[in-house]
Order: sequence, then C-alpha cells, then structure tokens
Amino acid sequence: MPRIRLEGLVKRYGAVEVLHGIDLEMADNEFTVLVGPSGCGKSTTLRMIAGLEDVSGGEIYVDDVPVSHLEPKDRDLAMVFQDYALYPHMNVAQNISFALRLAKRPKAEIDAKVRQVAGMVGLTDFLDRKPGALSGGQRQRVAMARALAKDSGIFLFDEPLSNLDAKLRGQMRAELAMMSQQVEKSMIYVTHDQIEAMTLADRIVVMHDGYIQQQGTPEKLFKQPANKFVAGFLGMPPMNFLNCQIEARGADTFVKGDGFALRLRGEIAAKAARHARKEVTLGVRPSDLSFAGDAQPEDSLKLDVKVSEYVGAQSVLLCACGDASVTVEVNSETPMALGETLVFEVNPARVHLFDRESEIAL
Amino acid sequence: MSHAPQKQNPAFYAVIGLLVFMSVGPVLLMFVNSFKLDVDILSGTSGLLFFPTIQNYETALCDILWYEPDHLRFCQLKFGGAFINSLVIAIISTVLTLVLGAMAAYGLVRFRFMGRDTVSTTTLLVRMVPPAVLLVPVFGLWNNQFCLDQDGFLGGWIKDMFGGRGDPCLAGTHSGIILIYVAMNLPFVIWILQSFIVQVPRSLEEAARVDGAGPFQVFFKVVLPLIKPGLAAAAIFTFRIAWNEYLLASALSDRDTKTVPILIVNNMSEFNVEWGVIMATGMLLAIPPIIFTLLASRQIITGMTAGAVKG
Repeated sequence: MPRIRLEGLVKRYGAVEVLHGIDLEMADNEFTVLVGPSGCGKSTTLRMIAGLEDVSGGEIYVDDVPVSHLEPKDRDLAMVFQDYALYPHMNVAQNISFALRLAKRPKAEIDAKVRQVAGMVGLTDFLDRKPGALSGGQRQRVAMARALAKDSGIFLFDEPLSNLDAKLRGQMRAELAMMSQQVEKSMIYVTHDQIEAMTLADRIVVMHDGYIQQQGTPEKLFKQPANKFVAGFLGMPPMNFLNCQIEARGADTFVKGDGFALRLRGEIAAKAARHARKEVTLGVRPSDLSFAGDAQPEDSLKLDVKVSEYVGAQSVLLCACGDASVTVEVNSETPMALGETLVFEVNPARVHLFDRESEIAL
Repeated sequence: MSHAPQKQNPAFYAVIGLLVFMSVGPVLLMFVNSFKLDVDILSGTSGLLFFPTIQNYETALCDILWYEPDHLRFCQLKFGGAFINSLVIAIISTVLTLVLGAMAAYGLVRFRFMGRDTVSTTTLLVRMVPPAVLLVPVFGLWNNQFCLDQDGFLGGWIKDMFGGRGDPCLAGTHSGIILIYVAMNLPFVIWILQSFIVQVPRSLEEAARVDGAGPFQVFFKVVLPLIKPGLAAAAIFTFRIAWNEYLLASALSDRDTKTVPILIVNNMSEFNVEWGVIMATGMLLAIPPIIFTLLASRQIITGMTAGAVKG
C-alpha cells in the first residue's frame, strides 16, 4: 500500500500563511489521525493531499513520487467528506458505483462490487433509495461505501462523524475501527474530537496554528506530551495546570505553588533538579489525583470542592487550589460534601512539568 | 386554531371571478370565433348562436392538409412552413441559450478571475436594452456586414444550394434570427442559473473530482442534473420569447423563414381583416408553448439537492 510523505508543506492564502512547513511520514497501512482545534490547518493538509487545494510550497510524495501537481483523480485516493457529499440525483447504488462507472469498468464487475461494498456497510436493502430518503447514519454509510468501492490505496476522512449524534457517532467509530482492520489501506483521518483520535489512530498527529505539535502513538502522546498544548488537548476531562516554581530542598526537588508544595520523585525529579528556581507549569490529569485523607502534605494537593458533576460510575469534581481551578475524577461512591476541603494524593509517576515561557515539556 | 370553514366576503369572489374572466375571456373568445365565419364574427350578434365551421382551420392549414378544401381556390397561407420555422428557431435558440448560459453561469459562480463581479452584473444590463433599439443596427449588420463573398468558396456553395441574389447574408436565414434570440435571452438565463448553481454544494463537485471526474464530467454529470429546475424555468422563458417574438423576426426573416406571428399579421390588409383565420392561427400558435411549458414545468421540483449534504 502506498506510503505518504509530506515534506515542508506550506499553504498560503494571499499573504496569510496557514501551514508552516509540515513534515510528516506515514508508514504502510497506518491509520493516521490529524487532530487539533478548528483552524489549525488539519483539514487544509488533508485537502492538499487529496488535491483539492493547491500546494503553495513543499511537496507531497506517494511512494516517493511527487504528486502535488496531479489532479485528484490521478492520485489513487478515496475520500469521505464531512457533509457526506452524496449525489442527490442518484440512488445509493449509483452513488457507490459513480467512480467505477467513470472508469468505464465492465457492468458485471460494477454490480458485484456494489453488492460487496453495500454488504460490508449494511446497505444492501437500500440500494434503490435516493440519499434524501436516508437517515444521517445511512448517508454516512453510503459515503463510506462510495469510498470503499474505489479500491484505491489511500483513504481520506474529513471529520466524517462530526454530523452524527453522540450515540451514532460511538457506533460508527467502532465500525470504522473494525473496517480499518479489515481493509489494507493507508488511512488519514481528520477530526477535532480527541476521543475519535485516541480510539482510532495508530499514529496521532496533533496540530495547532499550522504547526505539528507532536506525533506518535496515542499512548505516547497521552503519557509523554511534548508541550502544554498537546497535554491539554488530549484527555477528557483535560489536564490541570498549576503555576509553580522548582525548589531544591536538600536531596529532594519540590515544586512550590499557591497553596501547595509537591515533592517530585523519579525521572521527573532528576529533570527538574537541573532547572532549580525555574518558573514552570505543573500538569496533572484529573484521573491521577486520588482521594486519600491520610496522604503526606508533600505528596498531595488540598482542594476546596466547588461543584460535583455526577456522570455515573465517576464523578468529576471542580475544585479550587488557591486561585487556580482543578478538576478531579473520583469514584462516585467517595463520600464528600460541597465546600469541604479535601486532600488528594498525586500519582508521582504521572506528573508533568512545562516551561512557563516556551510551554515545552522539561 | 381550528379549520372551521371561513365565510368569505362576497366581494372576494367577485374579484376572483373578474380576474378569471379577464384571463380566460380572450382565450375563450378566440376559441369561439375561430369556429365562426367572418360574417358571423362581424354581424354583432355576439351570441353563442352560430353554425360552427372548421373552414378557418382549413384555410390556415391549407398547405399541409391532405385534401383541398372546397372554399379555397388556391392556398395562400403557408402555415405549415411558418410553423416549422417557428419550431426550428424556438427550439434551437432555446437549446443554444441553455447550453451557453449554463456554462457561463457556472464559470461566473465557480471560477475566480479578474472582473468577475462586473461581468456578473453587466450581463443583466444588456437585457435592459429594448429589442426595438436593437432592430435598426442589427438589420443593417445582418444585411450588409455579416455576409459571405458570393465568389468565395463557402459563399458560392451556399448560393448554389439555396439560391438568392447578391452575397448570401445572415439576414433572412434561420441562423440570423436564432443568433439574435440567443443574444437577447442569454443574459437573463445566465442570471437565473447563477442563483441555482450557487446552491450546489461545492463538496459535491470535490467528491466527483476525487471519484475521477474531469471538469466537464463534473459539470454534466453532477452540476447540470442538480440545476434541472433552473434549466426548466429558463427554458420556458426562452422558448416563449422566441416563439412569440414579432418585431425582430419581421425585419430579419424573408418569405421562406418567417415565423407564425408574422404569418398571422399577413392576414390583415387594408381591405380586409380575416378575423376567423387569425383566430384559428392564434389557437394553433398557442398549442406548442402550452405543451412545452407543461413538459418543462414537470422538471421544476423543489428540493432537488435534498440529501446531498447534512445541513
């Protein structure tokens, strides 16, 4: 299957540069997810790969062949659009077979392919319907089937699930994950939803302001975020950030902030020790704080519970720590009352420190 | 709110009745009179008591009837020929206008080029010139400028084929009339189709491009089917103008290329106005636009793009 490589990809609209030299190499059959907030350039990158936007600088290579001057139809790719983009004057079968009919394949082959693909996405009973007579989820499947029928090596998704309701989105996400295992294609998937990114990706590429912030496996990005943006973007509820300063006390390294002084342990302590007195931002995920009334003060945060959001097995507590606010995820059975000041132990292996100025991880 | 039958003011029905009478009355009058002899029409007893006759229709259609009507000594009217001229001119000019108009509108909506907005607004400006203003210059150009040298290859060939005196010119040909009708209707068609093309989601065209369609396939297989309602509306408009137009056709046609509206007027002379025949030709003249409008209006279905994209 084709390997895609982006080299110094730049996009300008007039004088405004929206992509500043994107370098990216994707492996065979890899499910790559471009994720970032709206306006970060992820869709533009995808549309440039598809050939729907001109390349202002840099080059796109497919199997080491430069393709940026080629028309979309000559790039051996299929795409699923955010708004489905189904041809309303054609029925489902005609929609699915459009590319094959343009390629003038034999009719028997087209029919077989349509049946096969429709079976894969569960549309066999709807082949005669027009898109107008289908539900949102069914339209989404038609869009998927249309891309599948093309048999091209590269599969592009432009926020395909963002128009579905929450339940359907979860279901389609699972089906997509299943499909990506079945078909051997290089897939590039654009989304702003970090849950989609985490669950589907072999490799996540986090983008912000036209730059790649970090790329790697979901686990790597979650556990070792390269900077504050990636740390805050991935994970739900988002990571807590607390301003503090590094202090060396004897053999130990502490971070001291408004209302807390936390002792660092292990690897992070060694890193922090090299930056004594530096202004930093402490990052702790809500799930890495646990309710422990008897914890040592240097291993814990004292938080005033302001709001409790019950979400079933878990409760999300919005708390105050000095002037900063901190979210904590706890078992909803934990006994507590609003307004109480409670002690939460910090998992010392999961503490992140970021340079206050550059926001890069220490 | 319940749907209890509402009692309408009697004046409401009176106004409706008046409007119906005003619109249907003349057609009814024409229909009735087309079956009367001129004597009956002019006798002033405008009652319904008369002896219906198809003489007027026989006179009108004398050149295409399979028998010779008793009351005619020779066939003066060439309705059949004029009818075919009208059909040829109206259909060809409508098709040409739609093809050119759709392409121009697509270009104006989708492509970015210098002066696009100016072009887009000035197209309609051209439409504001009354045909009467065009008549004199067009007549001169068609007769004197747009001619082929009769000694040249093409000019000589045309002269051999179709005869005529002097250099073969655009005036008096079907092409001459079709050309001016296309020029006259194109601005409005471009304008009306633009608003339909704007509504075609861009992602549909992108999807087609990814699916392997070239620019022309995108246009003909995706865009055109979606603007069918607009095409139908534009077609009705163009066809009816081309079918009814009198002024330009009267100046630019000759004996062999005259259209039905001009033929009808030929029935009036300073000595005699043949009302019965005029009414009969009028009835015949009305049939094609009615059929055309009924066929075309079936294409005007709202919500053509429903289901294309999630809103």
